[in-house]
Amino acid sequence: MRQVHLIAYDIADVKRYRQVYKAMCGHGDPLQYSVFRCELSEIELHGLKETLWPILNLAEDRVMIVDLGPVEGRGDDCIEYWGEPRVAPPDRAATIV
Amino acid sequence: MIDNVHHQHSTSHEPQHDTPDAANSTPTPSTTPPPTSTAEPPGADRPPEADALIPVRMLNEFTYCPRLGYLEWVQGEWADNLETRQGTFGHRHVDKPDRKSISAPKEPADAEKQDGDVIHARSIMLAADQEELLAKLDLLEIDGDRATPVDYKRGKAPDIPEGAYEPERVQLCAQGLVLRENGYACDEGVLYFIGSRRRVVIPFDDELIARTRQLVQQFRETARAGAIPPPLDDSPKCPRCSLVGICLPDETNLLREAATADTPPTKDGLRRLLPSRNDALPMYVQDQGVMIGKSGDRLTVKQKGEQLSSSRLIDVSQVSVFGNVMFSAPALRELTIRGIPVCHFTYGGWFHGITSGLTHKNVELRIRQYATAADPAGSLDIARRLIMGKIRNARTLLRRHLGDREAPVLRQLNEYHRRAGHAPTAETLLGLEGMAAKEYFAAFFTLLSGRHEFDVNGRNRRPPRDPVNAVLSFVYSLLVKELTVTLQAVGFDPMLGFFHTPRYGRPSLALDLSEEFRPLVADSVVMTVFNNGEVTGDAFIERAGAVTLTDAGRRSVIAAFERRLETEITHPIFGYRICYRRILEVQARLLARCVLGELHEYPSFCTR
Repeated sequence: MRQVHLIAYDIADVKRYRQVYKAMCGHGDPLQYSVFRCELSEIELHGLKETLWPILNLAEDRVMIVDLGPVEGRGDDCIEYWGEPRVAPPDRAATIV
Repeated sequence: MIDNVHHQHSTSHEPQHDTPDAANSTPTPSTTPPPTSTAEPPGADRPPEADALIPVRMLNEFTYCPRLGYLEWVQGEWADNLETRQGTFGHRHVDKPDRKSISAPKEPADAEKQDGDVIHARSIMLAADQEELLAKLDLLEIDGDRATPVDYKRGKAPDIPEGAYEPERVQLCAQGLVLRENGYACDEGVLYFIGSRRRVVIPFDDELIARTRQLVQQFRETARAGAIPPPLDDSPKCPRCSLVGICLPDETNLLREAATADTPPTKDGLRRLLPSRNDALPMYVQDQGVMIGKSGDRLTVKQKGEQLSSSRLIDVSQVSVFGNVMFSAPALRELTIRGIPVCHFTYGGWFHGITSGLTHKNVELRIRQYATAADPAGSLDIARRLIMGKIRNARTLLRRHLGDREAPVLRQLNEYHRRAGHAPTAETLLGLEGMAAKEYFAAFFTLLSGRHEFDVNGRNRRPPRDPVNAVLSFVYSLLVKELTVTLQAVGFDPMLGFFHTPRYGRPSLALDLSEEFRPLVADSVVMTVFNNGEVTGDAFIERAGAVTLTDAGRRSVIAAFERRLETEITHPIFGYRICYRRILEVQARLLARCVLGELHEYPSFCTR
């Protein structure tokens, strides 16, 4: 089962920043610049680590991962938005275009 | 025979399934044995002939659980879980083969003269024909003619006198035996536990060597016999095993016990080992002329440059497209690599094709499926259960909604159910099914509100001539699509059925398995969309007597169908909560167990 994770990062280098941003988009939605809301299961969170570690230089960059709780329940209730988030949190439903 | 091949490695005392998954692995060139060059579970890419060398990694799995070893090596099954992924990640350094050249073991006299440094080599593949073993060594430390294998383990070093659990010690010892046959002196190996950063030295004493050889022999005999070992009984090993959803240990044991005890299976006491639902969901694209592309790890849908939708690939379980939808090559490639199937429908909703990667390797299952389909008695046994399930579920739906428990149709369906259980031929069964369906639909149509407005005149199709039948046909098509995807993922050939005769372009096995789910999943959706007013008169177009759904109408029906598949119910036999989509998979796996001879009869899924 997935949990909502709030992930924020500081990246010291522009090239790495772009790589990290692109990788993060595959795992969640940007609420703000460098702040993502990611619905991830344990294994998907590990997948994020597999993706990011080869990019990061942990001597200069930093990443913070906060587990906010289950998607249905505390995970979303505990976030309060002032102003619109950059990307609205998705609903769990099949995509029909 | 030293060769660098991207291969396996292991974790601590749980099953070591840390195969690099297809999505992020890079094939490494290989020259000498075996003919494998891709990063895949060992044995999976070559059929395990009777004389194939046993990969030591598989020996570890067999020691942990014989059934696990059989599933992975003989049947080529594979699944990842968190621990296997962590294991792969922990091995990222030792999985990179170095390009060091290693000379053959030196003569002892020669070695004494040189007091050179210890050579460290990573990711070494070695074969031993006498021991019938194949080893991938994470790290090999060579000092003259003395070699020490170092195997990386994901977890922490266990606090037991032997230093490590048996599967790991046997695996390491097997590596030692392979090194010995290749001319090295080797009396001990090292297990490096990544979790506790500790090296544990394992001496290869006579007892361990004897045990290792005994297990090699047992594994070979099991593979030759071609009979899958029974699941472990209520074992604490199961919850952490990544193949638990394929093996279904408790479910299989329960059904086998019920068959021998001659009493109906009870529904309490089963551990919840399966997730109740999947995280990823299907994607449907029906707008004409849109382009499905990939941007990073997201799947995008664009129309004339304008983005209509963007989903994380980890959220997509399958893609269904209706009519003229385009794919970019990178998107299609990524979908096949990830094992996400693409289902193609005509604009009118006729399911006609599926694009999928080469992801499944369970050849044994397919061989047995063909054999069962060729055997009229075996096919009839399964077909009877499928049709009985269908009639029972149809009756349940009517009983719940008719409001009259004494309705004659319920009695009649009971009678057909009983007769289907003794149907002597496939033709009789087909006749019974037809008669039951006729009775059922006559009653079913009375359950739809507003049916006068929609003018239902019995079940008709090809083309459907009224709105209710149009929705029924469309939902059946979605159900068959869902089962085709499921059956293919389980390892079946969806085109060859046991009840429906094979015909060009029809997924007969999916049609077979859909029978018991028609009332539960499809018909109930039809009732919902009409009775809740989710589709109304303007959701349909009539053309020369044929009625089809409009785009908007179809969208509502798909949404209702998807909601139904996500509905969690308590499993009538196993007693845990699980959604319909997962039930489809469990039933497909149980059908596989039945075809493989492990279960005597197929347990059809019937709600109460």
